[in-house]
This record gives sequence, C-alpha cells and structure tokens, in this order.
Amino acid sequence: MTASLSTTTARPGSIRASAPLMAWRTVDILTIAFLGAAFGIAYWGWGLAYEAPAAPLKALFPPLAGITGAPWLIAGVVGGLVVRRPGAALMCEVVAALVSMIPGTQWGFTTLISGVLQGLGAEVGFLLLGYGSFGLAAAMLAGALSAPLEAVYEWLVYWTDWAWGYKIAYLFILTGAGAVIAGGLGWVITRALAAAGALNAFPPGQEARESRAV
Amino acid sequence: MRSLRVKRHGSHALFEVGGTRRADAPGDVVDDVGVAVNGRAARGAIEVDGLTWRPYGRRAPVLRDLSLSVAPGERVLLVGPSGSGKSTLLRALAGLLETADAGERAGTVTIDGAAPGARPGAVGLVLQEPGAGVVSATIGRDVAFGLENIGMPRAAMPARVASALASVGLDLPLDTPTAALSGGQTQRLALAGALALTPSVLLLDEPAAMLDAENAAGVRAAVDEVVGTLGITLVVVEHVLGPWVEMVDRLVVLDDQGIIVADGPVGETLDQERDALLSMGIWVPGAPAPAPLAVPTGVFVPAAAGDPFPGHASGMPWSAPTGSGVLTVTPVLHAEPLTIVRRTHTVDGIDTSRVAAALPEPLEVRAGELVALVGASGSGKSTVLHTLAGFLRPASGTVRLAGTAEESSTSQPGDPRTQATNRWIVNTGGDPRTQATNRWIVNTGGGPRTQATNRWVVNTGGDPRTQVTNRAIVNTGVDPATLDARELAARLAWIPQWASSTVVTGRVLDEVMLTSRALGRHDPNLDTRARHLLDALGLGHLTDADPRHLSGGEQRRLAVAAAILHGPAVVLADEPTVGQDRHTWAAIVGLLAAYRAEGGAIVTATHDAHIVERAARVHRLDPQPRAQTPRTGRPWLAGRAPLALLAGAALAVPVGIMAPGGWTSAALLGVQFGLAVAGLVSRAAGVGRPLRALATRLLPGLLGALSVAWSTWLLGGHRIDLAVNGFLRVLLIVVPSAVLLPFIDTDRLGDALAQRLRLPDRPVVAVAAAMHRMQAFGELWAELGRARRVRGVGPSWRRPASVARHVMALTVGLLLRSLRAAADLAVAMDARGFASAATSRRSWLYAARWGVGDTLLVLLAGMPLAAVLVVGRLGLG
Repeated sequence: MTASLSTTTARPGSIRASAPLMAWRTVDILTIAFLGAAFGIAYWGWGLAYEAPAAPLKALFPPLAGITGAPWLIAGVVGGLVVRRPGAALMCEVVAALVSMIPGTQWGFTTLISGVLQGLGAEVGFLLLGYGSFGLAAAMLAGALSAPLEAVYEWLVYWTDWAWGYKIAYLFILTGAGAVIAGGLGWVITRALAAAGALNAFPPGQEARESRAV
Repeated sequence: MRSLRVKRHGSHALFEVGGTRRADAPGDVVDDVGVAVNGRAARGAIEVDGLTWRPYGRRAPVLRDLSLSVAPGERVLLVGPSGSGKSTLLRALAGLLETADAGERAGTVTIDGAAPGARPGAVGLVLQEPGAGVVSATIGRDVAFGLENIGMPRAAMPARVASALASVGLDLPLDTPTAALSGGQTQRLALAGALALTPSVLLLDEPAAMLDAENAAGVRAAVDEVVGTLGITLVVVEHVLGPWVEMVDRLVVLDDQGIIVADGPVGETLDQERDALLSMGIWVPGAPAPAPLAVPTGVFVPAAAGDPFPGHASGMPWSAPTGSGVLTVTPVLHAEPLTIVRRTHTVDGIDTSRVAAALPEPLEVRAGELVALVGASGSGKSTVLHTLAGFLRPASGTVRLAGTAEESSTSQPGDPRTQATNRWIVNTGGDPRTQATNRWIVNTGGGPRTQATNRWVVNTGGDPRTQVTNRAIVNTGVDPATLDARELAARLAWIPQWASSTVVTGRVLDEVMLTSRALGRHDPNLDTRARHLLDALGLGHLTDADPRHLSGGEQRRLAVAAAILHGPAVVLADEPTVGQDRHTWAAIVGLLAAYRAEGGAIVTATHDAHIVERAARVHRLDPQPRAQTPRTGRPWLAGRAPLALLAGAALAVPVGIMAPGGWTSAALLGVQFGLAVAGLVSRAAGVGRPLRALATRLLPGLLGALSVAWSTWLLGGHRIDLAVNGFLRVLLIVVPSAVLLPFIDTDRLGDALAQRLRLPDRPVVAVAAAMHRMQAFGELWAELGRARRVRGVGPSWRRPASVARHVMALTVGLLLRSLRAAADLAVAMDARGFASAATSRRSWLYAARWGVGDTLLVLLAGMPLAAVLVVGRLGLG
C-alpha cells in the first residue's frame, strides 16, 4: 500500500480524460449524476448525524464546526478525480447538494447555493492544474479550495455577528479540514473504487490497472 | 404469425418444450432469408468481421477474432459459459462496447452495411436486470425517451408511445410509476422503449433470467409477438434454453475463450452440442437438474446449536408445557402470522400506509429443515425474510429465534431461586406453593419481560422449591430485532439477492472466515475448513483474490459459503439460485444440502421448482394491493411548477440576509408562516395535520437556528439581541424551503431546467434519472448496513472507530452500486440514441407547464422580500 502510494504521488502527471476534454461521454454524465445522487443521500444522513460530533467541538471553540463541515465538500473532489473533465467537480457537488436538499435539511435552499460555491471551488482547484494532475496533492488542493467561497457565504448568512477573528479562524479551519477530509478521504475513496474495478471506463481505473501490472 | 423463419433441418430434433414434445418433419428445408417482409424492404442484416475485444486490465481478449453473419429477420439464440463474452458481443452488435468500458478493439461490426449507431435506435437492447435501463419515473416518459433523443416533434410522440406499449401488452395509463411495475412488466417496458424507435435488430441479454416463470413467459410472448409481426432480426442471450428454443431458428455457441464453436439450425446444433453445452453449465431442455455438489463433511460447525433439546419429540412449541417432565423441541425459528406495513409520510400531512407483505399462517423451521416462501414477484417474499431476520418490525405477529444450546439445555431440578444464574422469579398468579399450574419465570438477569433469554420453569405440582420434577424448561426465544450484530450473526445468516452487496473484506479467504472471526471463535481448524469449502466450490484457486473481481456466479457461491461457514442455526436465503448456470446452481444447492445435513435450518424465498420440491413446507404469499395516491384534495402547493417552488425558496435567502431583525423580522416570519399554512391546507387533510406536518418539517431548521443563535451569543459579544436576530434570520431563510421544496417533482424539474432555463439537455436528463432512484439508493444504504450487521461486523456506538469504518464501508458500497447502475444505464440510454442528442437538440414529451398559480406563488413568496426592501428604503429598520 505504501509503496504504490508513493509511486502514484511521485509521478508527475496523471492520466487525462480522453480528448477532447470537453466531449463528455454518456457514461461521464451519468456517472457524475449518480455519484452526486449517492453522495447526496450520504450528505443528508450526515446532516442528521453531524451534530453529535459537532456539538462538543463547538462547545470547545465554535469555529471548529469547520471540521464537521468538511465532509460536505467531498462530492466535488471525487467527481473531479473520477471523470477529470471541466465541470465534473462542479456538477457532482451541485447534484449532491440538490439531492440532499429535496427531502429537507436544516439549511433549505441555501444548501443548493452552498453546493454551487463548494463545487466552483473544487473546480478551480482542478482548473489550476490544467485538468492534468489528479494525485493526492491535487485532491487536497481541490478539497481546500472548496472551502473559502463557502466560508465567506456562511459569514454572510449564518455567522453574521461573529467577531472577525472567529470568522477568519472558521475560514482557515474549514479550508484545512477541506484539504484533509474532503481531499484526502476523497482521494482514498476514488482509489478504493478503482481497486474494486468500478472505474474501468475512467482514467483512475486505468491507473489502478497499471499499478497492479508488473 | 411469424412470417419469416428459417426452418430447422434436423429430422431427429426431439426435445421437450413447455411440456410438449415436438419433432420436426424431415425435409422441412426452407431458406427464405432476405425476402421482403410484408412488402417492406428486409433490413437488420448483421455482419461481424474479425472482432477482437480486450478490455484494459485483462490479459486475454474477451472476444477473439469473431466473425458472424445474421440475415434479416433471423432469430438467433446465443449461448456460452459464464464469462464467454455473450453480453460483450451484444454490446458490440449495438455499437456500445466503449460506452462503459475501455479496451483494445479490432475488426468491424455493421448493421445493414452501416455502423450500429448510424441510425439511433436501429439496434434495440434489453438488459438482464429489470430496471437497469429505466430512465424516467413514469412509463409514458420512459417509452418516449428514445423519441425525445431523435428530436421527434411533440405532437407525434403520444401515438408512437401508445402503440409501443400496446405491442408489448402493457395496457396501463401513461403516468403509471415505473417503480410500481413487476420485474416482467419492467422488462416489457424496456422492450417497448426499444420498439418505439422501430429497430431492425433486437438484442436481448438474458431478459428473463431474474423473473419468475409467469413473468418470464409474458416477456417471451411479447418478444415472439413483436419480432414476428415486425420481422425484426433477433439475437437472444440465455443460459436457460428451454422456452427459447421453440422461438428461434439458429443456435450460436461461444466457448470460454470467446470463440464460436458451433453455429447452425437450433434443433440440430442442440443435438450435436448437448454434452458440450451441459459441461458449459447451460440449461439444456430435457436434461435433468445437475447433481448437487458434494461438500465434504466436517466443514461446518455443527449447526445443532439451534436445537436446544435434541432427541425429544415435537410437542407444543412456544407454549409452556403442561404435563410433567415434558420437554418441547423448539423450532430454531418461529413466526406467528405476520403483517408488514410500509408507511409513507408526505409533507402535506397525508400519511399513507399499505400492507407491504403478509405471511398468512405461522411459519416455523426446525433443525435440518428447508422451508420455502413462494409467490409472484412483488408478493413480499424479501420483505418477509427481512422481518424474519429482525430488520423490519412487523405491524402484527412475532418472530422468535431459539436461544443457543448453552443457554437452554440445562434443566434445573430444585429451587430455581437458589440456582446460580437465576435472578428473578415471577409468579404468574396465586401462591406458587399451592398452585398446580404455577409458572415460574426464571430469568438470568434483568426484568423478565425485556430479556431475550427468558426461561420458563413450569411447576408440575406442589412447591416448586422442593420438587425435583421442575425440569420443563422452554426457551421462549429471542426477538431477532433485539439482538446486537454478533448475537444475531451467531444465530442467523442472511443471503441477500445481491451477492456483491455483502462483500466486506478484500480477500476471498478472509471473506469466508469473517463471521467466525468476528464472533471470536478460536477454532484451530478454521483456516483448513475454509479452504476445504472453497476447494469444493471450485474457488480454491481464488483464495487470495479480491472478491469484487470475481464473476457473478463465483460471487454468489462465495456469498453462500461466507454466510454459513460459522454454522448459524438458521439461514435466510433470498432467491439463492436465480439467474445461475448449472455449475453455480449445483454448488449452491449442494452447499445448502450439506449445511442441512449438519443440522442447519433454511428459509428461502424462491421461484426455483427444484428447491421448492426439497422443502418440508411451502408458504405461498399473495401480492398486496398498492395504495392509490390520492389525486384529489391535495394541498395547493402540490401542483405547482418546480421552478416556482425553487424560486419561492430562493426568494427567502435575501429576505433573511437583509432583514433588520427585531420585531420587523418576527413579523416577516409570521407572514411566512401564514403563507405556509395556506399553501399546505388541503381538503383531504384539513388544517390540523398540515400544521403538525409543518412542525415536523421545521424541526431541523429550528435546531439549526438555535445553534446559530447560541454561537452568535458566544462569539458576538454575549448580546442577546444579536442572538435573537441570528435565530430569526436563519428561520426566515429556511421556513419557505422546508415548506416548498419537498413538493418538487423530479421529472417536471427536468422538463423545466431544460426547456425554461435552457440548461444542457443531457446533464439534465441524467440528473433527473439519478434523482428518481434516490429512494432506491436510500434502501440500498439500509441493505448494505444489514448485510454487515448480520455477518457480525456491525458498528458499536461504544467504539467510534467501528462507526467510522461502518459509515465508510456503506459509502463506498453505495458508490460502487451507483457506479454500476450508471454504467448500465449509459449503455441502455445510448442504445436509445442518447449520444446523438449531444449534437442536436432533444425534444420533450411534455412541455414545462407554468400556470397562473405558479406566478401567484412567486408573487406571494416575493412579498416578504418586497417588504424588506421597502423597510430598508424607508430606513425603518
């Protein structure tokens, strides 16, 4: 595990999506839609459960809520890592937000706005790397960048009256947790899916096969 | 009916078809292939030349230099062992090899001289799993999907949809939910979806493998009818040949290398290749069922643990014995007649509940017995199994599992109160020393009514403390729903229909030993027993492989082996043999027989006549009527356009952000509540229930608002007014969402996003297709959790790490299944011209309706925003 991990992260570039990059295949579109829907179900479940770990963190230091907020950033990272086309991260996160919003969450319509902002952030991460790098570092970058727009938006809607120091702390905590939880865990999940043979039609599946081949 | 056929040549073709013997007369030589049918030009000629396909990551090609010609109107049955590339060949014929896979391809495939995708829908494809190709939530939309892709004008669509549905005998309203169809109806729906595009070639990938006999016959009749009437070229993949042989002209056999090894008129080829086909595991008509695989003895832990009183005759189970010294043989599982109710709670305050399944008579199974649950698909067999396993609580009836032997085999002469493990004695009436019928409940700890391991000690007369005849001890059994994961796994195993759902580990050997290890059983022979079992099942060479890389049949065998190696008293098996070839069938039947021989008990839901005939008792379940969704008396909001509902929710966001706080915000919130109640009131539900429903919907938002208020107080300088304003701000934002969003209809949302907002067609269709499977994904999440729990690896809240592992495993499992669903659906959608919609605009069966009511909704929802703007302008805040 550690050996293959180091070779993957050490390789300069990842396998790109088939050219032309903007030519989404049917399976690309459906995979993003279905991954988004599956994450949406998980997001909704997390919305019910997250207060359990969030409450003690908030009692300790309220901006630590950023840690329990980070799992909601994961769909964009995984969508981008799997399909590797422009818009994949954004669409996956937006679908996840939409799906988790409709049965009812404590945040209502703002869930969808958050989904757009988070997805845009992840998308920017992959764009900065030219849709050419999809290792752990890229995943962490996308995870980290999912956070800032969301944090600023939350200042506006939820944390309006926090003192500025706390607002800034929340921004940094959400960004760091985004890198580690959304980025790191998203990367781990993508590798697990590829190892299970579920991503054969996508670049990560090809990378998994190459790492297995001697 | 069939106007175009290649008659078979064989004069000795003699086989059983549907119980009748038929022989073809000699000299029946006709070859009218290529002749025009009903005056139409014959089309549907398939030419495959030198086709080789090697998916990346596989050493050997799946198809190897394959060439095949099929004449227009010919009917071909394509067979081969599992893994021989039959499904792959069908995808190649449809031009969809690279839709959901990547690999190296050589050679050509043409349909009437053109590439298979040249005319969208020219090659129709029906997949094995019912529902794999369902795109929409209603059958009318689903059939119209292909027509929309080719941009057919809206006015022309309804007639084509209706005639396609009529031709497959689906005489149902167009707004029938696709989720309400049986498996057979769903397959006929897929057929109708293909027929709407007037295909010249129809490809069927084991269309009846997952169906019961009646539904399978319905699908075959529909195929026979449409193929005969329309003169379509037919290629069917099947491994149960019997019923198809009568319908086809030609048999093509692939071997496990993906090479055609036999090809000719069906009767003749069947005669010549009979032995080869049998050795491939194919169900050849007339051949007896294969001999169940011999599993060596000593592989299982004797399952006698489930029989607390071995060697005693059956008495009156589950009631306290009345005679002196009577011991009863306890069934390992017993259920009183069950009713399982499924409740749907809708936000408009209408609760609908319907009986999802009913077990009409008591069910019990003893050590070594097999009990079968039969009934048409949709009759609730799986639901009853779920209830027997304790996953669902019945609305009426009870389920009891026997305790384990060590808990109940000790009879206790003397005074139960002096026994070391007795903690509580309850007299059920009167003075125990004088009552002949006293029953003493001896409990091993805790309150007797809540304990799983209650034992009844029946006094046979006199003072129980002095009587040495106090022996009758009956274990009252355990409600499986009260057990934790390991207690449940020790007693009961569950083999779900989806074998791949149950994979927990990354290695075949670990998978088989998982539950034994989770139960902490230190058995030095465990490894040896596991290897013996895998050898017997033909999986011996795969001990170190990743279970998820196995074929479907291998996964099935592994799932059964992994469920029972630790010797649970009872196994609940959901359709264990459905869709399996003869080899896997023999392995599973042999495995279950060996397990019974060791004292295991089995309850199985099955359509398989061979299994039913092995059953000690058969319970027939009847389908329960479906509840009709009330169409009248629904609240005003239920009929509103999705964009109006979204806009109403969105308009509240600036209200919350800009609201000045204090009494102004409180007043705005009051207005929102008033509007919410007005929109929710319905004739059917009155006022009270919508109000209660509203309260339920608002609870999460209320908690969120309180949380914000608290953190604002803490971090905003401990000011109560700021905290109250934060509380009001969040409620102003989320109250309209909580009321409006649940009324969004996902199909109509797709219509609106594409036609009103002009978002790109294909992503919109994909998202709508994914969203109407949300319910299925939710159920899948629950099923994955159960599959882990019943194998003894459920989470414990005392160990947070186990919870995290559990959630991670369920998430990855859900993602795996959704990825496979996406890949299957991609193939089904491209077969209906979805890829062609990338270059031209789709049409839509239904316009995105927008009425006066929708405008009114937006205006009403905009009132608070207008008020906030006015207040802000006037500086009143």
